[in-house]
Amino acid sequence: MSDIKEISPNTLALFGIIGGLIGIYLSPLYPPFTSTFGALGAICAVIWGAEAVRRVAKYGLGTGVPSIGQIAMGMGIIAAMFGLAIVKAMPLAGPIVSLITASVIGFIIGWFAQNVIKMKIPVMIRCMTEIAAAGALVIIGFSAAVAGSYDFTRSLIPLVFDNGVMLAVFWVGAMAMLHPFNACLGPDEKQKRLLYLAASTGAITMAIIGIAAVMTLGASGVITLLLGIILWLIFYKKFWDEVYKDAAAVVGTGLIPKTEA
Amino acid sequence: MVLDLTMSMAILALMGALATIAGCLEDLESDVGSQSNPNSQVQLAPQMNFLHRIYNKAISGEPISNGLSAVTGGIVTTVLLNAKFFPLLAIVVGAFIAAIIYGIFATTSYAGRVASQTRFKQPLYMDIMRYTTPSIIAHNFVVCFCLVAIAYIQYAVLGYPFTIPFLALIWGISVGAIGSSVGDVHYGGEREFQNREFGCGLNTALSGRIVRRAESGLRNSIDNVWFCAKFGGPATGIGLGLTVFFSSWPTTIWGYTWTAIGVGVFIVAIMAVMNRLVEIQVKNAYGPYKEDKTEKEAGA
Repeated sequence: MSDIKEISPNTLALFGIIGGLIGIYLSPLYPPFTSTFGALGAICAVIWGAEAVRRVAKYGLGTGVPSIGQIAMGMGIIAAMFGLAIVKAMPLAGPIVSLITASVIGFIIGWFAQNVIKMKIPVMIRCMTEIAAAGALVIIGFSAAVAGSYDFTRSLIPLVFDNGVMLAVFWVGAMAMLHPFNACLGPDEKQKRLLYLAASTGAITMAIIGIAAVMTLGASGVITLLLGIILWLIFYKKFWDEVYKDAAAVVGTGLIPKTEA
Repeated sequence: MVLDLTMSMAILALMGALATIAGCLEDLESDVGSQSNPNSQVQLAPQMNFLHRIYNKAISGEPISNGLSAVTGGIVTTVLLNAKFFPLLAIVVGAFIAAIIYGIFATTSYAGRVASQTRFKQPLYMDIMRYTTPSIIAHNFVVCFCLVAIAYIQYAVLGYPFTIPFLALIWGISVGAIGSSVGDVHYGGEREFQNREFGCGLNTALSGRIVRRAESGLRNSIDNVWFCAKFGGPATGIGLGLTVFFSSWPTTIWGYTWTAIGVGVFIVAIMAVMNRLVEIQVKNAYGPYKEDKTEKEAGA
């Protein structure tokens, strides 16, 4: 695939980290109207995470793609809760502490997979670190979009944990991250199509989070919901454009083409 | 809410019935799209020059994908209940939105997977996309409705200390796990390789060489549901229904006491013995040992 120009992992990591953090830090500025930015930041992290899942899952872990997505969110949620809860005096530091904690957890798990289980996947450590960090940003971003802020005790516990919205953030967020590569698995998988799909699954998650935000934040949740649907429409369309371009043939109906078998 | 024994048993029976329907429809839904274990053969087929007209729905494994739809349904239902909707309407709308989102995930996986098989010349059939996706959505709607209804009953009537999304997610994972372990065999071993001897196992050389022609015309995913609805789906339904029934029955009768736990252990023991008996019977009837013996005789 070297002839196809791909966006480098470093660029996407920067996009995910900076976009994610900007979104998360903007979310509590003018509550509840700016909470949507949390979800937009989370979509940036979803795109980054999906690309990291792609790189690590390419090493023949065909059936392991969903597991990678789940472990990402598992590492992410532990780091996110730890990071946000531990910085009581300085809530501003919360997301960054979470990001660093997630990277450390991801690094340790990647190191174990590489050196103890001996999976022999060259990108394992780096990708585990990346997906854990992306998972933490996804969790914090979508939670902030539901709660209006990333303050752990005052916002997240009553508005995200107590009513069970966290489970949707966790599960649908994991799906958003693992589904793009899982859905595009195959020898002719292309990064561009995957990134569009990642943005589209992120936008679906944003729409679901918007529905939950209607309950927690009132009418301003509708902004998240509508913006999520609009973004989904745009990226779903772009994904289909790529499918039409990449597929061997898109036919209305027809018989199976003749092959040697 | 405190219920008398009759009412508790009625609730239990209702939950068992809902679980049976959910389990059955879940397995059939996974067969419409060739999800889970049989998916690997559908995915592999074009590589072996076996181009096909079967839907390739790879929304991860069944537990995760059903967890996705159940938790979405649970969240939407919670939001609507919070806005003072009637419970039944809230559950229906929740399940509907969840099923639509599930359908969207299904379209992207079929299109994405086929587009990633360009070098094998596998075409993307839009008619398959058009009439199979609504079937997936419909099946998933019923599954999601049943699961969120069970979660609602547990939360509102039985007073479980967990939220509806949490209970729905657990049920989604359970139904996916049971559907994956009980029903898939019927689709994978018996349908995709029905031209081979029953119980012959899947030789590596046979990988991807699935049956692509139906009784009439080319086989598609709807033909597979028709086949699996005869046995695989109902068996899965009974699997989940019995799981729900037997896991709640002791505590309904004896309350949260040691007697109930003892009865639960007794049920597990009986199940283990029954499983072993079935296994021995099946091995005697179809197992590889018999074949080895005849081969030995033939050799002698």
